[in-house]
Amino acid sequence: MAELFHRKIERTAIGFVLAIIAAASVGGLVEIAPLFTIDDTVEDVADMRVYTPLELAGRDIYIREGCYACHSQMIRTLADEVDRYGPYSLAVESQYDHPMQWGSKRTGPDLARIGGKYSDVWHAMHMNNPRDVVPQSNMPGYPWLATTPLDISVLPAKLSAQRAVGVPYTDEMIANAARDAQGQATPDSDAAFEAMERYGEKTQVSAFDGITTQVTELDALIAYLQVLGQLTQAAYVDTAAPEAMPDEDPAGAPATQAEQ
Amino acid sequence: MISGLTRDERVQGLGLLAVVGAAGLVLAVAGRWDALGIHGLLIVLCCALLAGYVFFRLGDPEPTEERLSRYYDDPTKVGIALSMAWAIFGMFIGVWVASQLAWPDLTFGQAWSSLGRLRPSHTTGVIFGFGGNALIATSYHVVQRTSRARLAGHVSPWFVLLGFNLFCLLAVTGYSMGITQSKEYAEPEWYADIWLVVVWVTYFVLYLRTLARRKEPHIYVANWYYLAFIVVVAILHIFNNLAVPVSLGSSKSYTIWPGVQDAMVQWWYGHNAVAFFLTAGFLAMMYYYLPKRADRPIFSYRLSILSFWGITFFYMWAGSHHLHYTALPQWVQTLGMTFSIMLLVPSWASAGNALLTLRGAWHKVRDDATLRFMVVAAIFYGLSTFEGSFLAIRPVNSLSHYTDWTVGHVHAGALGWVAFITFGSIYTLVPSLWGRARMYSPALIEVHFWLALAGTLVYVFAMWNSGIIQGLMWRTYTESDTLAYTFVDTLVAMYPYYIARAFGGLLFLLGAIVGSFNIWMTVKRGPVAVEAGRDLPAAAVALTPGE
Amino acid sequence: MAFEYEALTAFSKSWGLFYLLAMALGVLIYTFWPSNKKKFDHAKHAVLRREDEP
Repeated sequence: MAELFHRKIERTAIGFVLAIIAAASVGGLVEIAPLFTIDDTVEDVADMRVYTPLELAGRDIYIREGCYACHSQMIRTLADEVDRYGPYSLAVESQYDHPMQWGSKRTGPDLARIGGKYSDVWHAMHMNNPRDVVPQSNMPGYPWLATTPLDISVLPAKLSAQRAVGVPYTDEMIANAARDAQGQATPDSDAAFEAMERYGEKTQVSAFDGITTQVTELDALIAYLQVLGQLTQAAYVDTAAPEAMPDEDPAGAPATQAEQ
Repeated sequence: MISGLTRDERVQGLGLLAVVGAAGLVLAVAGRWDALGIHGLLIVLCCALLAGYVFFRLGDPEPTEERLSRYYDDPTKVGIALSMAWAIFGMFIGVWVASQLAWPDLTFGQAWSSLGRLRPSHTTGVIFGFGGNALIATSYHVVQRTSRARLAGHVSPWFVLLGFNLFCLLAVTGYSMGITQSKEYAEPEWYADIWLVVVWVTYFVLYLRTLARRKEPHIYVANWYYLAFIVVVAILHIFNNLAVPVSLGSSKSYTIWPGVQDAMVQWWYGHNAVAFFLTAGFLAMMYYYLPKRADRPIFSYRLSILSFWGITFFYMWAGSHHLHYTALPQWVQTLGMTFSIMLLVPSWASAGNALLTLRGAWHKVRDDATLRFMVVAAIFYGLSTFEGSFLAIRPVNSLSHYTDWTVGHVHAGALGWVAFITFGSIYTLVPSLWGRARMYSPALIEVHFWLALAGTLVYVFAMWNSGIIQGLMWRTYTESDTLAYTFVDTLVAMYPYYIARAFGGLLFLLGAIVGSFNIWMTVKRGPVAVEAGRDLPAAAVALTPGE
Repeated sequence: MAFEYEALTAFSKSWGLFYLLAMALGVLIYTFWPSNKKKFDHAKHAVLRREDEP
């Protein structure tokens, strides 16, 4: 019977193709499909908010420049990573990330909790020329960001597209996207207060690059970097202790093997 | 090249170019000042140039019916040339970005030359440009020989080959303008992705139709690997790249997959791109060109079948080992680890099969650099699949992940395995394709071999060292239980290795340039083969019992 | 929802294993089926024949 079957799948290469698909697709299905029962994959937290239009624009610049090639945004559940970068990353923190930027290589440090670690001024100087603030750095400078105006006219369309892939932006947020971006980079303006009303009290309004007359790409990028790890406080509240290093048992980090 | 096509086929080609050019025009209009518009114009320009070439040769003498009794190798020839051109481009960019890590001012302050934009040009250039063209070119060659049938079409092979190169061109020009999805190894944006689907479906149909014409009762195992490469890459590409464009006039899109699911889909794609692009297709080359060059049948045909199904089945599960200790549910991580370890069995079966094929023929390996390329490839395949399984073990991964160890591992595979088997195959293929007795200069093949081997070893050792050192430094604690090193401390320790790595890459690039020169000279003025009987498909000669 | 997730993973794990075994068995039978041997031997040597002959 087996012979008959195989003679048949070989006679027509189509049968053979189907066999390849059958063999190859099962692994992906088994691993990926269950992840979409989302409640069990992604924690449910109340304070998780979406990116503001300015932060989203900044994220798009992060994507455009290919920052993932050198920076991760995923703190693993290992003691040294938690000590270095902060609480390990939760699934919920990248819930609204399309695409995710977890990365795979740390030529530079992890950025999952970079938000709030440095001042806006530090970031502005660092982006202009990293070696001005970190002499040993090998990161390229991005001086043109400070002089390139941000295209805020495209933001409503961007928010709509984000909503189409599942990010819960409201009609109001979409309609006011450009104004909110302007507002977030212009402290004490009416637009700034409106943006805070829409995106929450904790929305960081700042001059970011230090200049309020024009919203630049640098404003957007700094706004994004400053919100990394700040969209929800869930990770800072009640995460379990990190896993012990596999090869040792550092004092002070109780080895939780509960999940194994 | 045009002389192999009839007037009708030339007109068909013009028609296709008009359609693609019109699509480019639509993009140009829709995109206006967006980078999409520039890409639209680029497409129009490419189509116009090619159409001009065809148009002014419309009246050239047509081939006779006799062509149908021969194999159709023109697309293979062009594919090899394109492959070598992309190799030099991609490896040059690789050396450049490697140098940027040691000397960051090598960006020259330009946006397009910053590391984040150049790095995908390197990966796309070598994986898709060099590797992809070599795969398409050799698959055309192998499927005809092993089926003893001519390619099923004259325009479609060109459509696939040139269309694929248009995709690569859109990709690398896009990165320099900042058009990228920043999904690793799947950076090109939505319109380029759609175009690749069109090209790939044509490739699939062409391949199946050629197989359907075969005069051999059994499909030779190399074709299995090529088929798996074509089919699975299509599946991976489509699912990973599902996205919603910001608008039809915008080059920007957002992937439909969110956060953790995107991570899983991305590495399901990423790891299987390694499996079915960088492994299956190149194993196909190995199963054809290695026996051919060594003039010995493959050690065990049965083993090649078993390892084929093993690889096809196991690889799909392994992607999640890229996500150990992350927010991905742990059972998925564990599955990924388990299957990654099981993967060692079919991988070593393949490598062993290749090496055992040379039983009693090792003197040939000593004398023949071309064969040595393929032997070293098989050895590196064995080594890097072992390393891959090893790195997939969770605790090992805790040290290696995010460090250069991964980069070293990838290059052990990409340089030592993929590039070596490709060069070996091309050196086997080129003389027969252009009717030469041998390559222009066997000595230059030796030079290429040693440059490539030295470059690979320098590169891989540098990255092993830097990766393990940095991984250990990150997790070193002082006696007072604080981290011993800042991140910058660990970066400073990397500089010597970054310089060594750039040097290793430079050696490898030089080898590729020497190889290209040798191929060029072989085509131009290699020693002509004595007429040893022409290379014909089966139908040409008397009737065959196979059917 | 919790049920769905558990059911899905349980299904994945059990049927995945079954599928793996069935698949392996099928491939082994095919590879070692006696009458296939001739075909394989033919294919094995076919690539070495001079390419201008049928």
